[in-house]
Amino acid sequence: MAVVLPAVVEELLSEMAAAVQESARSTGPRSLKFLFGSSATQALDLVDRQSITLISSPSGRRVYQVLGSSSKTYTCLASCHYCSCPAFAFSVLRKSDSILCKHLLAVYLSQVMRTCQQLSVSDKQLTDILLMEKKQEA
Amino acid sequence: MAETLRRVLTRGGAAWSGEENMPAAGPPLLLLGTPGSGKTALLFAAALEAAGEGQGPVLFLTRRPLQSMPRGTGTTLDPMRLQIRFQYPPSTRELFRLLCSAHEAPGPAPSLLLLDGLEEYLAEDPEPQEAAYLIALLLDTAAHFSHRLGPGRDCGLMVALQTQEEAGSGDVLHLALLQRYFPAQCWLQPDAPGPGEHGLRACLEPGGLGPRTEWWVTFRSDGEMMIAPWPTQAGDPSSGKGSSSGGQP
Repeated sequence: MAVVLPAVVEELLSEMAAAVQESARSTGPRSLKFLFGSSATQALDLVDRQSITLISSPSGRRVYQVLGSSSKTYTCLASCHYCSCPAFAFSVLRKSDSILCKHLLAVYLSQVMRTCQQLSVSDKQLTDILLMEKKQEA
Repeated sequence: MAETLRRVLTRGGAAWSGEENMPAAGPPLLLLGTPGSGKTALLFAAALEAAGEGQGPVLFLTRRPLQSMPRGTGTTLDPMRLQIRFQYPPSTRELFRLLCSAHEAPGPAPSLLLLDGLEEYLAEDPEPQEAAYLIALLLDTAAHFSHRLGPGRDCGLMVALQTQEEAGSGDVLHLALLQRYFPAQCWLQPDAPGPGEHGLRACLEPGGLGPRTEWWVTFRSDGEMMIAPWPTQAGDPSSGKGSSSGGQP
């Protein structure tokens, strides 16, 4: 089950990836910025700074973690649109004008560009990472 | 999951054409209806259908053990001999724990994941972000099972949510959230095609993969579920496309 992005977003992401890889950043960021606003440039920054980590366990299950600008780590699911950041909660869930938060956009960019950190953990550790996103009990 | 449900609803009617042999479960499906509208029965019928197909075990999650096994649609399948595994997470926290650790569970991956009574789990956590995480985790868990089943095979996901006649603001928010994550929905409501008749109207919206189709669901006194295509009436603009007994393509 893959994440289903609108076709126009997929196309833009591919164009972006090509533009960035050729180091011709003039056209890419503008079109992304049109759709996503300032999240686009921030997402590119996150990719540049290698802030995205794909965490996987022997089971094959995976999850992304993004090191945000405030040094906070946010969790993004690999299979559907979810990010633990407050911007996702506010703008995506309540209002519907923003399509993606900058962390999710960074994750998708890094998928298209095939560049992100990789981390292997045990099955048990992956469970804990996923559980941690449940609001702290203690 | 929408495709599996469609097969249940279509097969429950008259004879179905054997070409409906698609292994795909279809997109995740949300089943909605007021109390007593037959959601659990339909969920269980989908479980029987999927288990009968032999694609793999079925995992049925619900808060409380079912009072009695809902009867299917007159099939001779014995639920006890089929691979339907029940688990009863008693709280939202336990449901989270179950979903987050799903990849640790030994044994073959389920081919279908069902959850009954999502509204009870959502009610415990009024925060939208928590609700979104729970819903997203359901999808993520099904995606992981799909991955474990191997190429060309999918784990379907079907979730039942009880709605109220008058929705509170929290319910409206949850519903909007769910519709973002679940492309396919099936609404159940008490209705009947003619005067003096009873039953439920099942309206399946497959989420862009096909036209909306409707069925008429009734329960016999022995609990058996009878399904027929919703009869189209002349001049009825909301009638589904085609109600031949050959089933929907």
